[in-house]
Amino acid sequence: MSQQTALSVKDLKTYFYTNKRCNKAVNGVSFDIKKGSTLCIVGESGCGKSVTASTIMQLLPRLSRIEEGSITYNSDAGEIAIHELERDGAEMKRIRGSEIAMIFQDPMTALNPVYTIGFQIAESLQYHTDLNKSQIRARTIELLANMGIPSPEQRVDEYPHHYSGGMRQRAMIAMAMSCNPKILIADEPTTALDVTIQAQIFELMEKLKTENDTAIMLITHDMGVVAELADDVAVMYMGNIVEAGTVDDVLRRPRHPYTKALLESIPVLGRGRSQDIKSIRGATPDPYDRPKGCQFAPRCDFATDACNQMPAEEQLSDTHRVMCWQHEELKQNA
Amino acid sequence: MAKTSLDKKFDRIRDLEEAGKLKSSSGSRALRKLLSNRLAVVGIAIFLVILLSSIFAPLITSHDPQKIDLRSMLQSPSWEHIFGTDRTGRDVFARILYGGRVSILVGLGSALVSASFGVAIGCYSGYRGGWIDTIALRVSEIFMSFPQIILVLLLVSIVGQSLFNLIVIFVISGWGAMYRLARARMLSLREEEYVQALQSFGVSTFKICYKHILPNALGPIMVNVTLTTAMFILAEAGLSFLGLGVPLSIPTWGNILNVAQDLRVLQNNWWMWLPVGAVISLFVLSVNFIGDGLRDSTDPTLQG
Amino acid sequence: MLTFIVRRLLITLPMMLVISFLVYLGLELTPGDAVSHMIDPEVANEVTPEQLAQLRAAYGLDKSFIERYGIWLVNIVQGNFGHSLSGGVSISAIVLDRLPATLELSVFALLFSTLIGCVLGTISALRRGSATDSTLTVVGMLGVSIPEFFFGLVAILIFALHLNWLPVGGRLMPGDESFIDHLPNIILPGIVLSLMMTAGVMRYSRSAMLDSLSREFIRTARSKGLPEWRINLVHGFRVALTPVVVLIGFRLPTLIGGSVIIEEVFQWPGVGSEFIEAVRGSDYPLVMSIALMSVFAVLMASLIVDVLTALIDPRVRLG
Repeated sequence: MSQQTALSVKDLKTYFYTNKRCNKAVNGVSFDIKKGSTLCIVGESGCGKSVTASTIMQLLPRLSRIEEGSITYNSDAGEIAIHELERDGAEMKRIRGSEIAMIFQDPMTALNPVYTIGFQIAESLQYHTDLNKSQIRARTIELLANMGIPSPEQRVDEYPHHYSGGMRQRAMIAMAMSCNPKILIADEPTTALDVTIQAQIFELMEKLKTENDTAIMLITHDMGVVAELADDVAVMYMGNIVEAGTVDDVLRRPRHPYTKALLESIPVLGRGRSQDIKSIRGATPDPYDRPKGCQFAPRCDFATDACNQMPAEEQLSDTHRVMCWQHEELKQNA
Repeated sequence: MAKTSLDKKFDRIRDLEEAGKLKSSSGSRALRKLLSNRLAVVGIAIFLVILLSSIFAPLITSHDPQKIDLRSMLQSPSWEHIFGTDRTGRDVFARILYGGRVSILVGLGSALVSASFGVAIGCYSGYRGGWIDTIALRVSEIFMSFPQIILVLLLVSIVGQSLFNLIVIFVISGWGAMYRLARARMLSLREEEYVQALQSFGVSTFKICYKHILPNALGPIMVNVTLTTAMFILAEAGLSFLGLGVPLSIPTWGNILNVAQDLRVLQNNWWMWLPVGAVISLFVLSVNFIGDGLRDSTDPTLQG
Repeated sequence: MLTFIVRRLLITLPMMLVISFLVYLGLELTPGDAVSHMIDPEVANEVTPEQLAQLRAAYGLDKSFIERYGIWLVNIVQGNFGHSLSGGVSISAIVLDRLPATLELSVFALLFSTLIGCVLGTISALRRGSATDSTLTVVGMLGVSIPEFFFGLVAILIFALHLNWLPVGGRLMPGDESFIDHLPNIILPGIVLSLMMTAGVMRYSRSAMLDSLSREFIRTARSKGLPEWRINLVHGFRVALTPVVVLIGFRLPTLIGGSVIIEEVFQWPGVGSEFIEAVRGSDYPLVMSIALMSVFAVLMASLIVDVLTALIDPRVRLG
């Protein structure tokens, strides 16, 4: 693994076993996250992007497990095979919060309502650093100030319900960044927030990336966000990465029908009312009743008989790869 | 890593899934979950056995629960009298069977009647709000600030003991909780968009309230009816045990237990009180199992 | 905090007024009045209507209903609940005499059930699906299903009558003075009353704990790499505590109700057994007074619960 890679995921499979059924939520996913860059994972809800994030942190529910594949974390002390660690063992606990940190979709529910913001940030510092009490407090206030929270000395002792939504998400980021993690996983961090607040949060994340060389894994369903923040993109559909590459590769030269459809389904500012917005026909299949071959085939305009077989992953360039029988077709079409 | 039993279970499910043997089951999800809850099924079975044997008591025993037979006083259990006889020679088994009729009637009947009152008032006042709601809320608060047994005994002392009075008293003491539950459900449901849609179509308040919203609140109400039934059966037993419930001339589970206040009976004639106490406990247990099963099966947030 | 308590009291007072009025109304509706009960039936025929009217006037019974209610209410506020019909003893004296026994039993049961119930419920929730959990669930279900007096009877049969370990009932034997002397007497009624309530607290704290553990902030806590005990107790249990405290407050009436029957079963000389005697003897003033006091106790308890919730949960801290 190159020194530039912070985390490498290879052929990861995570299955869920609720209601006595087996749901192959993540079904063979590979990607790398590079230091100081942002990987965006895009897809509709239920495509397995959040599960991928939870798997990296081993934060899976009880009735689920990693079936196959590897998650390798490139720490300062050498490579760590996360998939081999015990789910809630000491090593995993050490990595969580200090090496890999996570922020969640809804800051309203992700913070414990009965403790002050300061208490909840200090908790991480208490378990992952050797700072004493007053140092922890100073650091907590400093973190809040860095995240742009006004009068942090007072705010530190307030409860989550005193904070607005955007401020709570900043507090969450402060919490996640408290121990200078190498990797920050952000699971739709702005979905629950106003658009204007969104921009501020992204600015903050961008700053963290450049200043601390943090690797960021950003999960979103918003192509606009991808265009703005991503260095690399992976498009997920029904538990697979159907297309991945640099942001230029994927957004400018999409080679998978699903990516193309996603891009065509968003309106572009400045093109006026007459622009042609296409929605993707059909709906995501029932995970318990999947199509036989390519998962996207039933909704795909390019589908042929070949699509009854699962396509293999094809490397188009050093960075760009796609999982589709018809990718040549799309090249001409584009 | 050693395979745990959970892992093995996962393997089994995965193999079946890959063989395409697992199908999305059809039919009512709630019913299916209820029937897959072992305790609930046990509860339903016990409930039915006790209920049916009470209803069909004459087919099960040939003894008359009221017939005094001084020649066979205080007999311990035998083939003739499964649970022996009491101080006046009445067959205890027959009394338990016939007593079940009254006890279950009082418990289930009071629960259903108080549920109807509570839900009818709660739905309407919760949906309409305003002064109707305020008054209903205050009234229910007054009734609910009495400890239940104190309120019941208080009313017994005023109106006197009879089967009908007891049911009325139970309804008076029990409607408040039902009302609160229905009202709370209503308050959250009336904010839903489909209700606003109905309003904009000009559907009458009455119809929105009882036809469109109420069915969505039925799950928790049913759960509460079962739990209230259990509570009233316990209350009847307690009151009659004290001699303050159903008049002693009518056999009920509580009245049969009444004799156990006498220490000599308690020590020497176990068959006169132990079986009936066990039956009450079993019956209430079965109702509680059903209630819990219903709660789990109607709660969509629970998975397993 | 003080304003919060005052405001809460201001809500409670009108309730008390309305309830006291209803209770007085009930008292009026019951047959007979203070004077008719005072006169011995043997001599009733010899009393002239004039004498009766005089007596009634002396007791203020000729005044209008509202006036009499006012006088009664003022008396009650001053701690004078009138006299019981049987023996004419002052009701306050009777209740004060019996209250310590009831308090002793209730406080014992409350502490025991809260402590054990919370611990067992939490264990059950943390081991969800395990054999421990199923066992505790079934045991808890049994606890809320067995009539408490029946459980008491079985306990008497086994521990008092057969094994002879503990007394059958009563509180103080002649000559018993200290707490230690009557400790054996409280064990059976105390445990029986507690176990019933423990089952309820356990079932409730289990579900509150499960609810709390399924919330997102638990995942946040886990993502911070906190140790398991801290996630479960500092984050999970702390949040589950609020509903459990509220429940215990709501269960206080049940505790009072339960103690009525348990006192009767164990011949425990508390307010509860006095109440049952009063109901049996149609001693209406005594019945009404005790009922009124129980309501007062319940309302005070719910006030305390509200204050406690405000202390525990920062979201409800009102100005």
